[in-house]
Amino acid sequence: MSEKQVPIIAFNQVDLSFGDTHVLNNIDLEIETGKFYTLLGPSGSGKSTILKLISGQLTADSGDILFEGKRVNNVPAEKRKVNTVFQNYALFPNMNVFDNVAFGPTLKGMNKTEIKNKVKSMLDLVKLGDFSERDIDELSGGQQQRVAIARALANDPEVLLLDEPLSALDYKLRKSMQYELREIQQRLGITFVFVTHDQEEALAMSDWIFVMNDGVIQQNGSPEDIYDEPINHFVADFIGESNIVDGIMKQDYVVHFVGKDFENVDAGMRTNERVEVVLRPEDLDLTTIENGKLIVTIEDQSFRGDYYEITAIDDDGNEWQVQATNSATMGARVGLTFDPEDIHIMRFNESEDDFDARLESYEDDDES
Amino acid sequence: MKGKFKWSNLYLVFVFVLLYLPIFFLIVYSFNAGDVMQGWDGFSWKHYVELFVDTRILEIVVNTFLVALLSSLLASIIGTAGALFIYNQHNQLIKNIFLSLNNILLVSPDVIIGASFLILFTVIGFTLGFTSVLLSHIAFSIPIVVLMVLPRLQEMNPSLVTAAKDLGANNWQMLARVVLPVISPGILAGFFMAFTYSLDDFAVTFFVTGNGFSTLSVEIYSRARQGVSLEINALSAMMFLVSLLLVLVYYVISKRSSKGKKRAGTRLVMPATEGL
Amino acid sequence: MKAKQQRQIFYIVPYGIWLLLFVIAPLMLMLFQSFTTSNGHFTLGNYGAYFGSGTYLRMTFNSVWYAFLITVITLVISYPTAYLLNQLKQKQFWLLLVILPTWINLLLKTYAFIGLLSKTGTVNSFISFWGVAPQQLLFSDWSFLLVAAYIEIPFMILPIFNSLAEIDPRLSQASHDLGANKWQTLRYVIFPLSMPGVKAGIQAVFIPSLSLFMITRLIGGNRVITLGTAIEEHFLVTQNWQLGSTIGVILIVAMIVTMILTRDRVRKNIRK
Repeated sequence: MSEKQVPIIAFNQVDLSFGDTHVLNNIDLEIETGKFYTLLGPSGSGKSTILKLISGQLTADSGDILFEGKRVNNVPAEKRKVNTVFQNYALFPNMNVFDNVAFGPTLKGMNKTEIKNKVKSMLDLVKLGDFSERDIDELSGGQQQRVAIARALANDPEVLLLDEPLSALDYKLRKSMQYELREIQQRLGITFVFVTHDQEEALAMSDWIFVMNDGVIQQNGSPEDIYDEPINHFVADFIGESNIVDGIMKQDYVVHFVGKDFENVDAGMRTNERVEVVLRPEDLDLTTIENGKLIVTIEDQSFRGDYYEITAIDDDGNEWQVQATNSATMGARVGLTFDPEDIHIMRFNESEDDFDARLESYEDDDES
Repeated sequence: MKGKFKWSNLYLVFVFVLLYLPIFFLIVYSFNAGDVMQGWDGFSWKHYVELFVDTRILEIVVNTFLVALLSSLLASIIGTAGALFIYNQHNQLIKNIFLSLNNILLVSPDVIIGASFLILFTVIGFTLGFTSVLLSHIAFSIPIVVLMVLPRLQEMNPSLVTAAKDLGANNWQMLARVVLPVISPGILAGFFMAFTYSLDDFAVTFFVTGNGFSTLSVEIYSRARQGVSLEINALSAMMFLVSLLLVLVYYVISKRSSKGKKRAGTRLVMPATEGL
Repeated sequence: MKAKQQRQIFYIVPYGIWLLLFVIAPLMLMLFQSFTTSNGHFTLGNYGAYFGSGTYLRMTFNSVWYAFLITVITLVISYPTAYLLNQLKQKQFWLLLVILPTWINLLLKTYAFIGLLSKTGTVNSFISFWGVAPQQLLFSDWSFLLVAAYIEIPFMILPIFNSLAEIDPRLSQASHDLGANKWQTLRYVIFPLSMPGVKAGIQAVFIPSLSLFMITRLIGGNRVITLGTAIEEHFLVTQNWQLGSTIGVILIVAMIVTMILTRDRVRKNIRK
């Protein structure tokens, strides 16, 4: 992130409650121009709430919401330079496709030819050029989705907000829309803020992800950062599959779990600090007992097309998920192996700032 | 933003005052020691006392409730049968014809209903009186019951019936044990609607009532033209209480019966514009 | 199969008797009456009398005109009410309060207005307090319109409220999001989408208003003569059922026309 540029949207200690429920807790975030952001979290985590605060559908209890450095907390929705693609689209059923897309430009007072051109270019952008005279109820879900995108973009927003726009589509359509949305975002060069509960979708589309839970941003970073270096149990569990076991950090680069010491690449903890250890299933390999760092018994396996998902249990009773290319024999005792860099260590209750600082400090150590 | 909000509330307050003003006006004057609805001569229960010794008006109140109770009961039975018939009818054309016929009395002006019933009773030589009023009330209440019951039937899971058949239930058992319990909220709502329609009716009754029989509406109409006693106000106050009670009962029923679909309960809570 | 037929017969018998006796027969009898003389001979004379008479035509025009005014007044008061009610938190409860007055006997409410509006009544005492001389408020067009509108308001609010409540709140959010202010959202999104409710409300108010007779008698003081009053008079006072039926048939035709005009057309046809 470049330092000089004023973020297009910034949240400064934003709080929001509905009655007794604390929906957002002290949210800080910055969004820059021209990138694809994703708010990722389970339902009720507060991700859609953030979107509604940006669009002006909700007002924060406290804190600042800044748009290009100016506080917009009390600016009504219709005066903000953002537009939203709503969940279930919210297309106006009393208007046809053309009138839906023309809604914003008409309100802005554009003349007829300008409106026509605008609508045409927007419908072309979403590949619905021939549909302008159709009624909304004549469209499929995927087509309605495209109209909703065209309608929001027709207002030339600086930020496009997308509230779980793909969740109602079937798997294949969802996949292709993911690519298309990403392409549209790159073509227009504007900021997209995308809300989803689907971690796969978030990883595939985003430049930057905010992982949310219980009204708190748990972690933010590039998809790679978040996948490789989850900050806590929640993130590790929510993003991808994880094996998480308790461990003790003996000293820098040595962790103790399942009764053994392992070499790893994390540092900066207190000596003998209790930690959680993450190992991704795809980083684990089955091997002979002699070569195994851990000895496990195969419990269960299922074929997943491109791999076998194997469940194994070690002698301490911990369950291990392994993704293997070859099938295993049920009940067999085998070894489990992994590399030091596959081990990821998480501290309990570490804040994002501390986490980033620690990562930086020992990574600098390595270089020196 | 805030100022605007208050203006809109003020408007609502105005509308509610307008809606309730006449009703509270009636009730307040029922306690007037004087004998007319003007001025204020102090508080008194005397009109309530008058009311309770006026055997004619008490008899009419009893008549009115009797007609309402009997007509809504019978209308509920016949209307439920009608709804079941329409529901079981799979020919779409016949179904639509029956639905349209069903709705005729719902949309007809009351004067038309009253006048045409009057012709009917006269042509078949029926003496006007309690029975003609009762029959008329049953007649205009049936379509309401049908309209309240049909949506319940349509919401009913059809595999319930299939399952009951599969388990060996005969017609009667299926109706009593499976269908009726499911649609009972609709029947109850229909019964209540019919009951209030009947209590509220003026025009139809006015046409088909003979000389010997009167309901409350008809009685007030004839008294209002001669100049009225505040006894009627006392009666209004008590009727208001009864209505309030009925509304509460109905509200509880419709709340309970339409857990998922909130609207269904209130959608048809419109006693007819009878008697205008 | 046989069981099913038995069942259907069991259901159709009471319901069918009702349909024949109380829906079809009365209307047929009324139609029949309108084409007969008092001796039972066929005639078109009743219709001739109706259409040949300036009085009846004026009365018909009056009925339509008054019904129109009542409908417009009711709509103007009810739409904002329904719209604002719909934004309240406990809206079902408030709606119930709107409905509650309709459960009070209509005659009682009309009767209250006699007390409110009479020459020595409350409204006059109130305005004379401000130095205005007592007016004859009863038995005027305005009092008639006021009372009729009062009676009809809940029947207009209810369908409009229901259709507003059905509108997905996200649509107005989307409208604001696209730059529309409150007024534009109402004008372009909410109002068009609530049209089915408005039409239902117009049906529920206009048709009964065409045939008012009780209010015309008690409040309008026979100054306002409508189709309803005429029917009542022919049936119950002058005993000219044939002409009464003729007016009835015309009222039914007017009702059908209203229904067709306010019918909710299939959406495709609305498009220009």
